[in-house]
Amino acid sequence: MQELLGRISALDPQASLGLRVIACFDELIIGNVNTRALLSAAASLSGCNAGYQSDLPPRSLRVSPRGEIVAPDDGPPTPGSCSAITAEGLTVWIERDGEPHANDAIVLERLALAVRIRLGGGRREIDGRRDLGLLLDPTVPTETRRLAAARLNLVSTARYRVIAAPLFAVWDEHPSGAEDVVATPYGSIHALVVPHDHAPVPARPIGTGPATDVDHLHRSFRTAVVALRLCDPEVAPSVLADDYGGLVGLLADLPLDSDLPDVDSLDAIMSHPWGSVTVDALVRTSSVRQAARNAGVHHSTLQTRLDTIIAELGYDPLDNGIGRTRFGLASLVWRLRHSRVLDLPAPTTPSSPTPLR
Amino acid sequence: MSSRARPEFDPELKAGLAVVGGVFPPTITPNLIAFMRRSYASPPIDDTLRGRAITRSEHTIAGHRGEPIQVSVLRPTRAGSPRPGIVFVHSGGLMFGDRFSGADLVLDWVDNLGAVLVAVEYRLAPEFPDPFPREDCYAALEWAAATAGQLGIRHDRLMVAGASSGGGLAAGMALAARDRDGPALCGQVLDYPMLDDRGVTASTGQFDGVGVWDRVSNETGWSALLGEARGGPDVSPYAAPARATDLSRLPPAFIDVGAAEIFRDEAIAYADGLWTAGGDAELHVWSGGFHAFDIFAPHTVVARGMVRTRDTWVEKILAD
Repeated sequence: MQELLGRISALDPQASLGLRVIACFDELIIGNVNTRALLSAAASLSGCNAGYQSDLPPRSLRVSPRGEIVAPDDGPPTPGSCSAITAEGLTVWIERDGEPHANDAIVLERLALAVRIRLGGGRREIDGRRDLGLLLDPTVPTETRRLAAARLNLVSTARYRVIAAPLFAVWDEHPSGAEDVVATPYGSIHALVVPHDHAPVPARPIGTGPATDVDHLHRSFRTAVVALRLCDPEVAPSVLADDYGGLVGLLADLPLDSDLPDVDSLDAIMSHPWGSVTVDALVRTSSVRQAARNAGVHHSTLQTRLDTIIAELGYDPLDNGIGRTRFGLASLVWRLRHSRVLDLPAPTTPSSPTPLR
Repeated sequence: MSSRARPEFDPELKAGLAVVGGVFPPTITPNLIAFMRRSYASPPIDDTLRGRAITRSEHTIAGHRGEPIQVSVLRPTRAGSPRPGIVFVHSGGLMFGDRFSGADLVLDWVDNLGAVLVAVEYRLAPEFPDPFPREDCYAALEWAAATAGQLGIRHDRLMVAGASSGGGLAAGMALAARDRDGPALCGQVLDYPMLDDRGVTASTGQFDGVGVWDRVSNETGWSALLGEARGGPDVSPYAAPARATDLSRLPPAFIDVGAAEIFRDEAIAYADGLWTAGGDAELHVWSGGFHAFDIFAPHTVVARGMVRTRDTWVEKILAD
């Protein structure tokens, strides 16, 4: 995989390889793979042998970048011929000849954590996850979250927002702040904490959560993930939860597979070539004329489409009673159900071909 | 809804996807072809060959319509007598890759079995639609057989091998060689082959937006090759071997595929078709495997198992 990391760099010099390394080890830890598999991944990512040695039980293993076992040396290689981390009777290393590579430190750090967990350094270690993961998990006790926030230099009197992005988001500018890869039901998400009054972050796709105090940042994160999933690469590469008031927060708590006939009935409408743009235009207005302008069509055309929609739904989306609310909510849930923003990495296309190594 | 039932990825492979996804997006649409041609280009061949006792020679041969195509011949540096030969067809969804894509895995056959590898630079879709890719490959097969004496290849031990789109093209070569009274083949290695342009199997619809090479990518590839003909009545079995109605009198086949990829069902069906026709086929379905996981994550347990099993079969067919 070292070669793949090299290709990613060549294609996109801005790409954060460290986050990919972290996400890789996160999956290995969740998958509860054995030490050979952990060393194989570290060796493959770094392109050189990786190994570990534990005191109790006395055990050691060296693995090549191809995942093959390498005959043991006399213990861990001497300092200088490799990078190593030793803690609590466990040493892990990668056997780099010469100068360390850019990702060696993060590979080694993640390897040490993963091996310790696998060796039963405790389920305790899993709870001792990284601070941002703790802070953004509502099932973690408030006091633990506050301690994690303090370690991240987040102040209890200040307000912050969480930004959610896929690992492959494109950042024109990357604000500094607490950040990490956090596991969610939608896969690994890149989470970043910024002050509540931070300028809009130029990156895509991203979702920005509402401003909260430290105790409720998990809420900001959950909402930011929903905002992210409402992104559309073409139309809305960045979504602010604030633009939807409390609505996006409401959606964060809704099981998407729940039985919602209003959402199902949108399927037929959305299958029309004009479906998506017309629904969006109707959601954002209360008159046919304005909706026609939003959609960029003649009002008689829009009226025809509206008649089709009313016939299909059985209610009028512009009805000033409950119809508008039903329609607006149904269209948001429909967009979430059909969200592809996390499926589709957005490869950058450099203007000139880059030689690949 | 997008929450369709599907087999999970193996944990090691799933972890690998965190890296693979940056090079090979799950969903490839026509506007990504240019990106894929950069991201899937093979590393310099001299780097790949370093430390191996392999000699490379380059040849320009007549491809489809007699137009020139490039072929590389990779032989053991110290091959005395004629050796077994392999015509290798690379992966890349019919639209990208080059003759050395994924070659490091087959180079072990040159190193360990003393085989001579003929790697063909078939022309790519959409610029060169059907029949260019398959007929370029077939021309390379005929050339390898016709010049076997000069190339030091044994006439009685010539095999075709390919991965993904190359696997489909290799299967097509075996069908064409049978129908055209072409070179006799001793085996066909079809790694997770791309066999069916119709996209009708259950597995084709199971992996939208995840892993490597989903339904949309497959439609992109087949449309590039076949255009409007994709899925219609007029597709040649040499382009889409799942279309073949006669699978008798074919060389022994080795077929491997991941259980968590869209080609699972067409690979199983092809093996089944070979058996039904009284043929010789060995099929391996690797649990939790996404498409081409041996190329992208060779360090994993599943990939090592796949490569070892394949190498064992090839040894059985080719070794002295």
